[in-house]
Amino acid sequence: MSNNLVLSIFEVVGSPLCVASSDGQKVYDRLAATLKEGRGVILSFHNVTTLTSAFLNAAIGQLYGVFSEEQVRSLLKVQDMETDDLGLLKRVVETAKMYFKDPQKFEQAIQETLGNDSDGT
Amino acid sequence: MNFSLPRINPDPAGFEALVCLWAQAKDCLFDEIDIDMSATTWFSADMCAVFGAILYRLGENLNTVKLKRIRPDVESVLSKNGFLSHYGRGTIPDRWGTTIPYRRFDVKDDRFFSGYIEMELIHRPEMPAMSSGLLKRFRESVFEIFSNAVLHSRTKQGIFSCGQFFPKKHRIGFSVTDLGIGIRQNVKTSVGLDLSPGDAIAWATEGQNTTKRGQIPGGLGLKLLREFIDLNGGRIQIVSDAGYWMRENRKTVVAPLSQPFPGTVVSVEINTTDTNAYRLSSELSATNVF
Repeated sequence: MSNNLVLSIFEVVGSPLCVASSDGQKVYDRLAATLKEGRGVILSFHNVTTLTSAFLNAAIGQLYGVFSEEQVRSLLKVQDMETDDLGLLKRVVETAKMYFKDPQKFEQAIQETLGNDSDGT
Repeated sequence: MNFSLPRINPDPAGFEALVCLWAQAKDCLFDEIDIDMSATTWFSADMCAVFGAILYRLGENLNTVKLKRIRPDVESVLSKNGFLSHYGRGTIPDRWGTTIPYRRFDVKDDRFFSGYIEMELIHRPEMPAMSSGLLKRFRESVFEIFSNAVLHSRTKQGIFSCGQFFPKKHRIGFSVTDLGIGIRQNVKTSVGLDLSPGDAIAWATEGQNTTKRGQIPGGLGLKLLREFIDLNGGRIQIVSDAGYWMRENRKTVVAPLSQPFPGTVVSVEINTTDTNAYRLSSELSATNVF
């Protein structure tokens, strides 16, 4: 990935607080345009202090609705990310894969959880 | 029309009193609404987001809202956090710096909200000393709550927030209220499940449940918040429609309210003495995240 685009989230968002879905969408637009060209991209979290699932769902989670897991895995890399932020990203990624891969199974999980919640807890 | 308000704490009785006020006053139009607060022997500042949202809705019905006979100690609290400045009174200095000001935001005010949180909460000199991990998780949780309101409430009337430091109890209370469609209605229209208001809140905080549809996945915000509160030893309360949901000490309480609230309240209280590291010990690395 020597000719990878390096995309600074801090530069795209203009703030160390990457919390809004609308800001995540700006990152997604650039990522998607790059991946559509089959080019690799390194997403830098340098200087980012705060992330939310809403931001990451918009920025990265929705990639799985357009690109295959293999495409994302081979073309997208992250750097300068703290371990706990990586943990949040991992959960966003796993949720997104489930959300897009098998809508029926996702609905089934919802129904099963509903059944388990019948005691109101 | 005249109404009265009892003592308001951040607990089921406090929420019940406020939804009853809403139920009694919601049909007023072009009216003068006088709220007698002589029996309000205490008003917890972090409940101002709920009260303010109700009064805002009443104002939208072109009513004139007046808060009357406020006891001096309550007036002091509600003046320090700026709440009473919305109702014809001034703001007084908060000498001990224990209030987090009352504010109303539009859904597109995310930058404004971020600045408010940084200035009025995170970087306040009065902020109790907390571990860097706790502070980071707390900050993220506050933003998750706001994002949740923006993404799910469909509100056009704004998002209300405020908070309170409790130095002796080593707690910070923070509330975000929206005047949106509520969790029950959202679950019904988005997922097709017709649940009771309390069960709808419980559903939204569980597993992989989400009301999100379309190209952007979701469903993590409230779960992350719940997990954080479980680790931290704090408390989270959610009111939506006529449902009350509370999580504390890893136990959940779901109860009905006698009247619906016209939106959703998420109220958290965090334990500032928490020393959890909040770091993942797994072998997770940037190379295996996708």
